[in-house]
Amino acid sequence: MRGVLKIVLVVAGLLFIGTAVAYAQLPEPRAHEFPYLGNRGAVWVVAQLHILFAAFILGAPIFVVVSEILGWKNQDVRYERLAKEVTKVTVILYSMTALTGGLFIFVLLATYPQLTAWLINHFFAVFAVMYPLLFIFETIVLYLYWYTWDALQGPKKLRHIMLGVLLNIIGLATLIVIDGPTAFMNTPAKFAEGGMDLKTFIETTATLWDKMNNYSWWPLNIHRTVGNVVFGGFITGLIGAYLYLAAKNDEDRAFYDWFGFVGNLIGVGALLALPFAGYLLAYELCDYDASICPYMMADQLSMFFEMQGAMVGLIFLGSNYYIWLSMKRIEGLEQIRMKTTTLVLMASIPLVFMLIWTKFPIPDKFAFILPACWVALFVIAGRFLKWTVGAQTLVKVAFLMVIIGNAIWMTPHAFVATQALAPDDGSLSLPHGELSLGFVTISWGDLALMPAKNAAAFTLVFVTVVNYILYNRALRQGRITWGTIDFAAQFVLVFLAFSAIWTMTLMGAVRELTRKYFHVFNLLYDFTPESYTPTLAYSSWVFTGVTVTFYIIVSFAIVLTLRTGKEKAPAEAAKGVPAVAGAE
Amino acid sequence: MEAQRSFIGVVVKRGFQGIVAAVVMWLASRYLFHFPPVFQVMFVLYALLGTGVFILLDAPSLSPVSGIKAIALLVGFYVVVSLVFIAGASALPQYDPMVEKGKIEKIVKPKLAATEKGKIEELLKRTKELDAESQAILKRLETLGGEKAKRIEASIGGGASAGAAPRAGGGNLVALGKEQYELQECYNCHKIGGKGSVKKRGPVLDNIGNLMKTEEMKEKLLNPRAWMAEGFEKEYNKKLMPDKYKELMSDQEIDALVAYLSTLKDASVQTPKPVKKL
Repeated sequence: MRGVLKIVLVVAGLLFIGTAVAYAQLPEPRAHEFPYLGNRGAVWVVAQLHILFAAFILGAPIFVVVSEILGWKNQDVRYERLAKEVTKVTVILYSMTALTGGLFIFVLLATYPQLTAWLINHFFAVFAVMYPLLFIFETIVLYLYWYTWDALQGPKKLRHIMLGVLLNIIGLATLIVIDGPTAFMNTPAKFAEGGMDLKTFIETTATLWDKMNNYSWWPLNIHRTVGNVVFGGFITGLIGAYLYLAAKNDEDRAFYDWFGFVGNLIGVGALLALPFAGYLLAYELCDYDASICPYMMADQLSMFFEMQGAMVGLIFLGSNYYIWLSMKRIEGLEQIRMKTTTLVLMASIPLVFMLIWTKFPIPDKFAFILPACWVALFVIAGRFLKWTVGAQTLVKVAFLMVIIGNAIWMTPHAFVATQALAPDDGSLSLPHGELSLGFVTISWGDLALMPAKNAAAFTLVFVTVVNYILYNRALRQGRITWGTIDFAAQFVLVFLAFSAIWTMTLMGAVRELTRKYFHVFNLLYDFTPESYTPTLAYSSWVFTGVTVTFYIIVSFAIVLTLRTGKEKAPAEAAKGVPAVAGAE
Repeated sequence: MEAQRSFIGVVVKRGFQGIVAAVVMWLASRYLFHFPPVFQVMFVLYALLGTGVFILLDAPSLSPVSGIKAIALLVGFYVVVSLVFIAGASALPQYDPMVEKGKIEKIVKPKLAATEKGKIEELLKRTKELDAESQAILKRLETLGGEKAKRIEASIGGGASAGAAPRAGGGNLVALGKEQYELQECYNCHKIGGKGSVKKRGPVLDNIGNLMKTEEMKEKLLNPRAWMAEGFEKEYNKKLMPDKYKELMSDQEIDALVAYLSTLKDASVQTPKPVKKL
């Protein structure tokens, strides 16, 4: 019965889209005023909610299939159970994705009918053919994947895995197709330099491929794919935390402890690549139009990036704290040691890399060679030097480096909303005084520039990698008891999921706002009175409102799908008894 | 109990270390490096954040709770995290949307007026204004002349009359050009009179009036690759001046901007020399 309901919901979503396409063909449709939120606010909330659901249903199947394969290959039933439970939630959230997608199109049509009509006319094949078809295929394959789970076991398992792979291929294709118009709104394709102007090109000669294949299309595809995996991982952590809190016996607690750990591992693993995917997108936006860069990082949106720095710092602190809590319960941790050179390398990165990248800005070849040499130097030195430090010392230094890295990331040129208009008296600006270290001179002003931010991002990533290496070593050499993790760890998982969603809504708003007073950047003006940049304070209420709404729906979905139809864990599932850490 | 006592000891120890670190950072940032107060506060806050993190690292395990207690704890946690995020975002300096609204209106209004929709909207708006004016006049006449006024109203059809004089076009070209400099946010990359981009994205313009003729400036605005300031030859597009102004600005706006830039002749400020490239 629930399956029928889900299919009805998906069909309703598709009908919404179809009606929207038809409505857009009407001549001169009239805009409606959305009460309370305003038109922009309404589109903002509905679009963001849709993207959050879409991010999960596209991200989760990637590691669900990987988990299924791991379970099948290693005969580890925990992976199989994890894959199945995440898929259960995915199926219900899939319906919500379709529903919010339909709602998004309707709200967009009601509030910005001319823009919607313009976009649909320019991307007719995408909105009327490709996207609905992909959606239908994805729906069919997802339900096939879910409903054949038990039937395709044993010798037929490979067929089920292939269904999962197909689901991911279609999901990825859907993402890539719909990213075309989205990216186009930020960076509409230009004619070759010196040729016809943008408007003439788009309105007369540009083909659908020209419009799709714009500057930010692939960077957005990459960024969203990585972001979706991060998102899926942290939501999996959230599912694990909820079910751990609700677990009634040691067996379930052991399983959901491990479940949360894997979710966090996936989230953090993909998170390490996210800053670089973000840079790539920002780089292409700035390459398209250099005025986007200062608008983002130095002008109206500079404090949005300040907030991003704070959120990234909190996420890295949270994920490393989770590793710490998980590591603390490993018996024999005190015997785990690492080379002192690792500690020194970790501590040196912010300063050394900042100096290298100031002297040789990325993508200069020395910007890659010199940092690689610096790391290699410590790796080689580690082979000869026998000094070691304990795990706990190393972790504490790692936390210190996360805080220092985050402080550098968050250091702005000035504490004003518009950096270029900072007051002359320097009362709010970082001084450009210099500090000489004898062989090198550092200007404080450099702390506000990109080389310093890159060094800070690298520090956060490096520290997290070292912590995981340490954790892995502790797992192999010590003894772990799943289900005995510090209770606070479940709140860390909840916090990580909440912060990841909040940050995603923040950065989503930044990408949209870079279009400034254009619906389509430099091409289609936004004549509505809401085409200004909202304040960060106002935006933070929207981010929080969207995040909380999403959380309520996801929490409901988790409780509904997992608690009501709870299956008994297979006998071989992890027990709440001590086991050699890392043993299969 | 034992664990609790030892944790209190940790809090006291870490708290003391944190306060010492905060004081050292404050003194160093203030007296040694001469950072402005807002950065001194930032360093102190980081010292306190570090203290909090290090206290958490040594905190004893939390006792598990379940059922209603766990749900209440979870809801409370969400409320606190939500409020902390909102408070953090609100505590940062806020851009005033009114400033931007004024700018956007000046940029977008002429573009809207140029569209069919804009023309109709302008006409409707003008009709409404005139209608309101005529109603106000009639009201005054009614108070003065009673029935006579009603007859006048009937004779003019109760509506607005055409013929209001168009608003006078404003200001001189240089003032308009200066306005364009602000509206297009050229200050994000350039500097004039010591004000503007701190990151040296584009050259200082204080003496540009002595270095370029008006037609050369116009060429640079319409085709930025045609001229490049010395020392600003860029390897990557992301730092190059956008080539969109010929599409986004009207001829009159470009002329006004050129007129303004031509007045910048402060030879005392070192201004990079523009070099013809194309």
